[in-house]
Amino acid sequence: MPDIEPFSPRGMFHEGWTAEVNDYAIACGWALKGKQFIVGDVAGGIFAFEGDTGKIIWKKENTHSGGLLAMAIHPEGEIFATSGQDGNVQICNCHEGKVIKTLDLGKGWVEHLKWSNDGLFLAIASLKKVYVFNEVGEEKWISEDHPSTVSAITWSNKNELATACYGRVTFFDIINNKTNQKLEWQGSLVSMELSPDGDIVACGSQDNSVHFWRRSTGMDAEMTGYPGKPSHLSFDDSGKLLATSGSERITVWSFIGNGPEGTMPGELCHHTEPISSLAFSNKGMLVASGSRDGSVVASFLKNDGNGDPVGAAFAGDLVGAISWRPDDCALAAVNAKGVVNVWKFKVRTNLFSKGFK
Amino acid sequence: MSIKDKVPVTILTGFLGSGKTTLLNRILSEEHGKRIAVIENEYGEVGIDQGLVINADEEVFEMSNGCICCTVRGDLIRVLGNLMKRRDKFDYVLVETTGLADPGPVAQTFFMDEEISSEFTLDGIVTLVDAAHIDQQLGRSDESSEQVAFADVLVLNKTDLVSDDALDTLESRLRDMNRMTRIIRAENAKVPIETVLNLSAFDLDHILKRRPTFLEPEYPFEWTGVYDLDAGKYELMLEEGPDPEMSLVALVNQGESEEELKDGAESSVRLYAENANTLEPGNTVPYGEHVNLKLEDKGNKSFILNIEKPTKIGLFTQHTAEEFNMKVIKSEENKEIPFNTERFWQAEHEHDDEVGSIAIERFGDVDPEKLNTWMGRLLSEKGVDIFRTKGFISYSGNPRRIVFQGVHMLFTAQPDKEWGNEPRRNQLVFIGRNLNEKEMQEGFDKCLI
Repeated sequence: MPDIEPFSPRGMFHEGWTAEVNDYAIACGWALKGKQFIVGDVAGGIFAFEGDTGKIIWKKENTHSGGLLAMAIHPEGEIFATSGQDGNVQICNCHEGKVIKTLDLGKGWVEHLKWSNDGLFLAIASLKKVYVFNEVGEEKWISEDHPSTVSAITWSNKNELATACYGRVTFFDIINNKTNQKLEWQGSLVSMELSPDGDIVACGSQDNSVHFWRRSTGMDAEMTGYPGKPSHLSFDDSGKLLATSGSERITVWSFIGNGPEGTMPGELCHHTEPISSLAFSNKGMLVASGSRDGSVVASFLKNDGNGDPVGAAFAGDLVGAISWRPDDCALAAVNAKGVVNVWKFKVRTNLFSKGFK
Repeated sequence: MSIKDKVPVTILTGFLGSGKTTLLNRILSEEHGKRIAVIENEYGEVGIDQGLVINADEEVFEMSNGCICCTVRGDLIRVLGNLMKRRDKFDYVLVETTGLADPGPVAQTFFMDEEISSEFTLDGIVTLVDAAHIDQQLGRSDESSEQVAFADVLVLNKTDLVSDDALDTLESRLRDMNRMTRIIRAENAKVPIETVLNLSAFDLDHILKRRPTFLEPEYPFEWTGVYDLDAGKYELMLEEGPDPEMSLVALVNQGESEEELKDGAESSVRLYAENANTLEPGNTVPYGEHVNLKLEDKGNKSFILNIEKPTKIGLFTQHTAEEFNMKVIKSEENKEIPFNTERFWQAEHEHDDEVGSIAIERFGDVDPEKLNTWMGRLLSEKGVDIFRTKGFISYSGNPRRIVFQGVHMLFTAQPDKEWGNEPRRNQLVFIGRNLNEKEMQEGFDKCLI
C-alpha cells in the first residue's frame, strides 16, 4: 500500500547475534569502539565477544569471590574495571582480559564504579567511602565516611565527583580535596543522574519520587506519584529529556522552556512488568528500555517527552542490562538467564536510512 | 510469582547477650537441607562459620514525609536486592538484627519495597529473650518491648538461670504483651529448628491450630457449671478457698451447647459490670443478678437456691468450683447434684505493660466499605502504636475469607480459601501500645452487617 505514509522516523531491531554466559548477567558494555562486547555475570564470570558476530574472544570465571557487583568500561574502550563482594577492584585489559591491577579496598562490597569522561580517573564506592584511582590503579583521593552507604556516584566534570547517599548529594573536588556543594534532602536516594552539562542533578528516592536540583540556581523540585522507587534514570545527550522509571511505565520529564516543574511528563507504556534497565542512545532522542518481562523496546521521543515505539524485541527473561553500541547502530541486552542478545538497529526516516545520528 | 516461589526470610531479634548468635550457629550447623543466606547486623559477639554470611550495618531510612510506617532498612534493600540475583545459591534468608533494632522498619521493608516484596516473603520474627534479664530490660527500653510485641516466636532463653515460678510469671507477662506469639523455653538457645524456620507465621491458621482459644476474650469469671434441677430447695455449699469472697451470677434456662454457653457468658458479662449485692451465708441467691458471696467464715458456707419448676441453672463464678470445693446439694435428700456441663473461661487480669494485645472475634459478615473506613481511620490515628495486625474477615457476598495482615499503618488484605460449610466469622488481633480495647471492639461491631 504505497499511499500509506509511515510515521517518521521508523526503526527496527534486525537480527544480530546471541550468545550465553554462565549466570545471571548484570553488566555489559561496548569496548574497542564497538568492536568488542563485554558481559559480566553475577557469579564473577567475564566474557568478551566480537561486536559484529558474537564470537567469543576470551572469558574468565570467578573473578570476584562471592560475586560480581559492577563493571565499567573505560571511555576509550581499551581497559575496563570490575568490582565485587570480595572488596576488590580489578582493572583489566580489553584485548585479552588480563588483570593490570587489583585494588583491595577491604571487606565491604564494592558496588559502584565510574570512569571520568576523560578517562583519567576511576571512582569507586564501597560502603560509606568513595575512592578515586587513576588509570593505572594509583590512589588519588579518598572521601570521609558518608552518613550511610553510598548509593550512586557520577562525574560532574573532569575533576568533580558527585555522590549520593541517604539524605544528600555531595560534590567533591578530588584534586583539591574539598567539598564544592552539598544538596540535602531527607530521603533515601537510590539512583542519580546528571545532565550532560552537569547542572541538573536527578535522584530517584525510596519514597517513590524523583528529586532534582539545578546547581546553578540552587532550585530544587520533587516529582512524586511514582508507583515504585525510580531506580532507573537516563538523560538524553542534549540534557533536554530525563527518562525515569520505577514501574512498568516510563515517565519522561522535559527540561525545555520552564519545565519540567508544572508540566505534564511524557508517558511510555510498552511493558507489562517493571523496567529493569533504561538507556538513552548516545546521540538523539531514542530511549531503550528493558523489563522484568523480558521485553526490550526502543522509543523515539519528542520534545515534550512523549513518543512512539520504533522497535521491540523479546530478550527471553528479565533484562539485566542494556547497552547501545557507540554508533547507536546496535543495541545489546543481557538477561537473568545469562543470554546475550545483540540486535542491529536501524532507523529509517523520510530523508535517510541509516543508523540514527 | 506466587508466595511459594518467594524466598522466605526469618528475622532474628533480641538484646545483646540473649543468645542470637548461638541460635544462628545452631541453625547453620544443623542438617535441615536448607541453604541459608545470613545477613548479619550484629557481628563481633561470636564468629559465624558459614559460607553465605553478609555483614551489613543497620541503616534505618526515614522518608521526608516523616511517616514511621514508611521507614525502611536500606541495608536490607541493598543486600537482598543483590542476593535475589543469586537465587540458585540459597533458599532461605536469616537476618540477625542488632540488640537495639526496632523490628518495625525491618518488617516494613518487606511490605514497602516492591522489588523486595516481589522476591521475598517475611516468614516470621523470632525474638530471643534472656529469661534472667528481660524483666529489667522491659522496664528500661522501648526496643525490648517492641521486639516482644513483634515476635511470632519468643524463645525464652537461659531458663536454667531462673526458677520455674519466675518463668511462669515471666511467660504470662510476655503473653499479655503479645497474645499471638508462641513461647518456647530454652537453655543455651537449644530449640527445634522447625520452631523458628518456615513458620508461615503471618498465617493466622497456624496460630489458631496451636492455640484455639487465643482469640477468646477475657471474662470476669473463670468457670460455669450447668445443673439440671427439679423444683425444690437447694444449697450451694462452699469451703474455704483462695478469696474471702466470690462473685457469682446465676442464670435460669441455661443451655449446654457452646453457643448457648457463650450467650450466657455475654449476659453474665453485662451483669458483672453492675455492682454486686453482698450475700451472707444462708441468704438466697437471686437469678440474673450480680452477687458477692461472703466466704470469710471457717468451714462450709451455704447459700440457698430456690427452684420453682424444673430448669437448668447456670452458675457463672469468679473462681473455679474446685477452688472452693463448691457443691450443689438438694436440701431434702441431702444429696449432691453434679453439674451436667462445665466450661472454663479465660480470666481477666491486670495488664501492667503498656504493650498488649487485643483480640476481636465476631460471627457474621462485615460490610467491606465500612470496615475499610474504620480500619483506615484506626490505622491513621493509631498506626504508630499498633505494631502488628493479623486476622480473617468475612466479607458479605465473598465466598472466600479475607486474610489481613499489617505492620503499623501498612496493611494487606488478600482472599484466602473458601468458607465452605464453616460458620462465617471474623477474627482480628492487634498488638500495640496503650490500645483501647472497648473502643476498638465497638468500632468493629459497627462494621458488622
